[in-house]
This record gives sequence, C-alpha cells and structure tokens, in this order.
Amino acid sequence: MNKQIRAAFIGNPNCGKSTLINAMAGSRLNVGNWPGVTVEKKEASLKFNNQILKLIDLPGVYSLSPYSQEEIIARDFLIGKNCDVIVNVVDSTNIERSLYLTIQLLELQIPTILVFNIYDEAKAKGIAIDLGLVENLLDVKAINTTATKQRDFGDILELITNSKNHKKPKDISYGQDIDETLKIIEQKYQKELTQSSDIPRKWLKLKIIEGNNEFTNSLHLKNIDISKEISHLKDFHDNDIESFLTEERYAVASGVSKKIITIDKRSVSRNITQNIDKVILNKFLAIPIFLLVMWIMFKLTFDIAAPFIDFTDYLFSNPLSNWMSYLLHSIKAPEWFISLIIEGIIGGVGFVLVFIPVIFAMMFFITFLESSGYMARAAFITDRLMRSIGLHGKSFVPLLIGFGCNVPAIYATRTLESNKDRIATCLVIPFMSCGARLPVYVLFASAFFYNNAATVIWLLYVLGIVIAGLVAVILQKSIFKQEAPLFIMELPPYRLPTLKNLSIHTWEKGKHFLIKAGTYIFAVSILVWFLLNLPWGVEDKKDSYLGKTGQIIAPIFEPIGFGNWEAASSLITGIVAKEIIIGTMGAVYIDEIDANKKEQDLDIATDLKEIGFAFVDATKGAADNILSTFGVSSMTVAIDDNNNSLRSVIRQQFTPLSAFVFMVFTLLYMPCVVTGIAMKQEFGTWKWFAISSLISFSMAWSLSFIIYNITKLWL
Amino acid sequence: MSENLSKLPINVNALITGINPAGDRKIKQRLRDMGVVKGGEIFIAKIAPLGDPIEVILKNYSLTLRKKEAELISVQIIKDE
Repeated sequence: MNKQIRAAFIGNPNCGKSTLINAMAGSRLNVGNWPGVTVEKKEASLKFNNQILKLIDLPGVYSLSPYSQEEIIARDFLIGKNCDVIVNVVDSTNIERSLYLTIQLLELQIPTILVFNIYDEAKAKGIAIDLGLVENLLDVKAINTTATKQRDFGDILELITNSKNHKKPKDISYGQDIDETLKIIEQKYQKELTQSSDIPRKWLKLKIIEGNNEFTNSLHLKNIDISKEISHLKDFHDNDIESFLTEERYAVASGVSKKIITIDKRSVSRNITQNIDKVILNKFLAIPIFLLVMWIMFKLTFDIAAPFIDFTDYLFSNPLSNWMSYLLHSIKAPEWFISLIIEGIIGGVGFVLVFIPVIFAMMFFITFLESSGYMARAAFITDRLMRSIGLHGKSFVPLLIGFGCNVPAIYATRTLESNKDRIATCLVIPFMSCGARLPVYVLFASAFFYNNAATVIWLLYVLGIVIAGLVAVILQKSIFKQEAPLFIMELPPYRLPTLKNLSIHTWEKGKHFLIKAGTYIFAVSILVWFLLNLPWGVEDKKDSYLGKTGQIIAPIFEPIGFGNWEAASSLITGIVAKEIIIGTMGAVYIDEIDANKKEQDLDIATDLKEIGFAFVDATKGAADNILSTFGVSSMTVAIDDNNNSLRSVIRQQFTPLSAFVFMVFTLLYMPCVVTGIAMKQEFGTWKWFAISSLISFSMAWSLSFIIYNITKLWL
Repeated sequence: MSENLSKLPINVNALITGINPAGDRKIKQRLRDMGVVKGGEIFIAKIAPLGDPIEVILKNYSLTLRKKEAELISVQIIKDE
C-alpha cells in the first residue's frame, strides 16, 4: 500500500503542463536536469490519501518520434517502465493535434489520464468536450481543468492514486493490413519480443514495421527478414510506412476529436490571437514593434537592475568590508588574512551578487516573452536575417541580450530547440560587446580620442557584430556542416502569463545561477586574490604571481602593440570579468588605488542608516529610470575623477594606435569566466567554453595584428 | 492542379497531397508530427516581413516554417463552388 505511484506528465509545448505541475506541486517541486543532457527535469513527491505520489514532468513534445532530444528523453522514459500512470495534458483549444500525441501514448498500453487543460478558454470559444465519450472511446480517464485558476487538484490526484484500478488504454487498430503484419511480426520475433518484455510490445512491433533501425538495432533484435511481409505494405504506401502510420494516427486523432467536441457556433468569439497578429505581424509594423519590444525589455532590465547593482556594490565594498575589517583588526588578525577575507572572500561574494539583479530581471522578461507567445513571433520576424549567417530566428533575442550581459544571454538560448543551434548561438554571443567592456572603452577612448570617443566606441560595437556574423558563417561551414537546418514550429496563441508562474520560473533560473555559477565565480575570485598577493608579503605587484605570469605572456602582445606586463596582467584578470581590467590596471600602474583603506571607526548605526538610504535610493533610481525617457545609452558610465590619474598613466604607456588595438582585443579576446561557467552549466561540459575561448583569442589576436601593423605602415 | 506550398497564394485554401520523399528524414517527420498529413486543409496566413518564413494555418492552429521546408509539401488548391 505504501509503494509510491509514479505519474509521468506529458503534453505538447504550450499546453500549460508546466503551470499545472507547478500548481500541483507548489514548493515541493525539484528542478534538475535529465542525466547527461541539459533538458530540465522537474519532479515532486507528495502525499495524498496516505499514498505517496511522485510526479515527473517530461519535456513538452508533439510526438514520440525520436528526432529531438526532448522526444528521445520522453520516449525512453515512457518505454522504460518508469511510470505507473501517464498524465497526458491536452490543450482544450487545440484538441486534434494534441490527440495525435495521445494516440501514440496509447500504443504504450500504460493506464492514462487525459487532462483537458485551458478549459476556460475553450469554453469561451464555445467548445464543449464530452469527457464520458473520451473515456469510452479510448479507455482512459478524462478530466478538465484550468491550471492557472484552479487551486485544488484533488480530483486529478484522486485519479492518479486509483490508477492501478484503471483499464489499459484501448488497443487502437490502424487498419487491417497493419494488424495482419503485427500478427506476423509477433510470430517471427516471438523470442526477441519476450526477451525485451520491458518494452511495451505493441509499440515495439510498430517500430519494427516502421523500420526505425536505430532503435531496433539498439535492442539487438536479430535482423530477421520481414521485407517480404511488409513489401505489400510498402508498395501500397509509396515505400514510406512511417509516413503512412503518422497519417493513420492523425486520422484516428481527428476522428476522435470530431466525435468528442461540439462547437457552439453562436459563441465563437473573434479569434483574439489572429487579431493581435494582424498588427504585431503586419508587414510594415512587425519590425518596428519588435525593435520597440526589445528596446523596452533591454531598457527595463538594465535600468531596474543598475541601481541595485550599485547598491550591492556599495554594500559589499563599504559597510560590510568596514565591519569585517574592524572586527578582524580588533581580534588582531594578521594583515594578509584580513586582506583575504575582505578583498578575496567578501569581494568574491559581492561579485557574484552583482550579477543577480541583471540575471533575475532578464530572466523575468524572457519568461514573459516566452510564455506570452511573443518569442515565437520574434523568431518568425528575425529568422530570415539570422538564417543568412546560419543561425535560427530564436538566436536573435539571446544575441541582443548579449549586449547587456553575456551570461543571461547564454541562459536565454534555452528557447532554441536544436542543440546545434544552441551551441552555435552560444559561441557567437561573446562577440556581442557586453556592458562590462564599456568601462574599458570609456577609459581608453576618453584618454586618447577625446571628441571622437563616442564614434570609436560605436565602431567597436559594430566590429563585434561583424565578427559575430563572420564566426557564425565559419561555424556553419565547418563544425555544424551536416546538420539540416530546421525551423518548423508552432506560433502559439497569445496568453497572459500569471505573475505566479513568472515568479516561479524567474526564481528557478536565478537560483540555478546563484548556487551553481556562484560557487565557481567565488572560487575564481579567491584564486585571483592569491595570484595578486602571493608570494607572501609581496610588495611590488610586478613580483606577484600575477605580475610574473604577466611578464611571461607579455611577448605574445608585443606584435600587437602592448607587450608590457601591466597590460598582460590586466588582461589575465579580465578573463574573470572584463570590467576588472581597469581595476587591475589601477592596481599595477598606480599601485595605490584601494591599497590601504584607512582603518575606520565603527559606527554601525550610521552605516545601517546609510544602507537603508542607499537601498531607497536604488529603488527610487530604478523607478526613475523606468519613467525617464531613454538617453544615449542605458549603461552610461560616468567618467569618474578617480580615473584621471590612471588616464594620464595610460597616455604615457599607450599610443593612440595601441590603445585602439587594446580596445579591439578587449572586445574579442575571451568570453569571461562567468560566461564560461554558464556554458558549462548549459552543456554539461567545459568543451564549448574551451572552443569559444580558442576562437575568440585567435580572432582577437589576428585582427589586432592586422589593424596594428597595417595602420603602422600608413602612419 | 498540384503545386508546392511555398508557391500557394496567400489566404487560399488547399489540400495537402503529400510530402516529397526526397526531403530530409528529420524534416519530413517533423512536418508530419505537426499535422502536415495527406488530405488535411492548409492555407498561408502570413509571410514574414523579410519574405521568409511563412505562417500557415492547419488543423486550427498556426505553424511557421521556412519556404525551403514548405517546398517539400505538395498541395492542391480547393476550388470555390
């Protein structure tokens, strides 16, 4: 009695399955990945009527044919005896196509519950579903719900709990000739079928008829010759039984849906989605509207996030470090230890947290675009452009996000279905000049190009885009040559996502970053601290490990104009995050910035008050930003006076040409470590970060070499 | 008269008569899974602002695909009475 009942939730994308499982499981939901792949796996265990139920969310699929990662995961799970009952979530407004998946599920002969979701929308459209008839026709249990509104799912849980008493689903016939062939296969393969008894028999036999070789081969079924038996089938169906069976399944689906649905013609409301699309996908308006949506998303993300970034930054660099420093001094901790705690650890944590506002805000908007239905339209609008460089329409939005920060951009590629498209997009993202590179441009451009600074910076952004296109084309012609490009996708109806769902998804993605990426970033920050401060008691930065490494690799930069250890060291730390380049330059060129913070008196009350004010300021700043109209740039960097001394040093160390080349190099040379960690998380391997670094570095060096040496000839 | 979907005029109803067997297996199966099966009705609702891809309506929902993929689908215009 205490054995848990495992229920696998499956349905088409956009059928509201994830909303349903979120609502049913609440906080008990565990999010992870399917083994070996990066497709999200959600599970929840809960108790109902003294019975433990395990809910497993399978990826959203249209079919069980093994042509995408999601389909293979769902298929392998279902045929592997991993579940006691299938909960098939059906979009009530799109029954016929949903039933096509249902028909395939019935072949597995596992007790099945059909949940007709989004029922309120169907009702508004005048669609009525005869649930009793569904149960009779298919030998399943049927129920309707509107997951976004319903609070109690006792009825579904009840059905899951009782599923062992349910009948097996109806064994649907796909016509006499198929039935007869199935019988022949039963005889010919008797032994093998019994050996593979774990796999649903009817399903396996159908696979044998379909001639789905990659699957039957993997089962070591002897290649018994059945070509004679199926030759008449082949002749009859143009040599393509897979196609014929699909048609048969669709025929059943469409027959069933015609029987179970009655449409009240009077209440057929205007098709809202089509009306919205008349404007949003209008020939002339589509692109301007798209750009506007992107602009708003971008602007809101960075405007909302920026003041909080400053606040986090302030919190960690001032009150927290001061308190800690006071505390450590008072217990007479050694100087190096204080430095490790304050610069290494607190600095490291602060560095992780600084990313949080951007990641959360960006993920919120991405989720909104995704679940409202606009993301698919964005792909529709931009696909032609993206295809010209071998990418997918859905690559556009992640690339655009890359201009803000490459890290959420990597996560945003999850909307791409094919792994090849995802990887190609991720390899191109680092060329989008992110916000962290801007301070470097600002410093150098303002030091050397005065009135033309803006033009120079603009040129760098354009250069990034050009290189991105070039790399995308090269990738298409090399690594990803064999893959057939595939765009076919649904344009789902517009739906207003609920705030609850948005928050759940945003929180999941943010948490993911915080925990997993946070650990790595933290470790890297501490490593950099050691590099800068070892050997013990090092006075001159030149003698630190970082300085020494800088001296070793400096010759690499000789041919491109800045072969000194200071620049080399800055570029090394810049791998962690590009904005650090300036901090390091400050430390190595001037050696005083931030070096000896005076021990301050502790005044917690004042500090707390200031923290409070700073937070209010941040919130107010965010609100102001939303209201204010757009300036020249979202991420304006104030040229602060502290950099004046650095600027004059740089003027002595660089020529205008080497300064420009340094900026080009900074733009291209490496995805930052945080981006790399995001890639590792998404693909489960460091391989793509390594490849990305390799491409970036060789691009950066060769382009810098060309610019530097050709321009030198002209000068 | 049979022709391929990419040449179908906008907003003209047609019957799907088949998928070109010469197409890539993955693309063909994806099309079928999305409901592009013999005998179904289909029409082009929109063409993207840059001329490609297209949006088609079939089985009461909307699907987008590139013209190159649409070329694999043969259709027959339904004559109005």
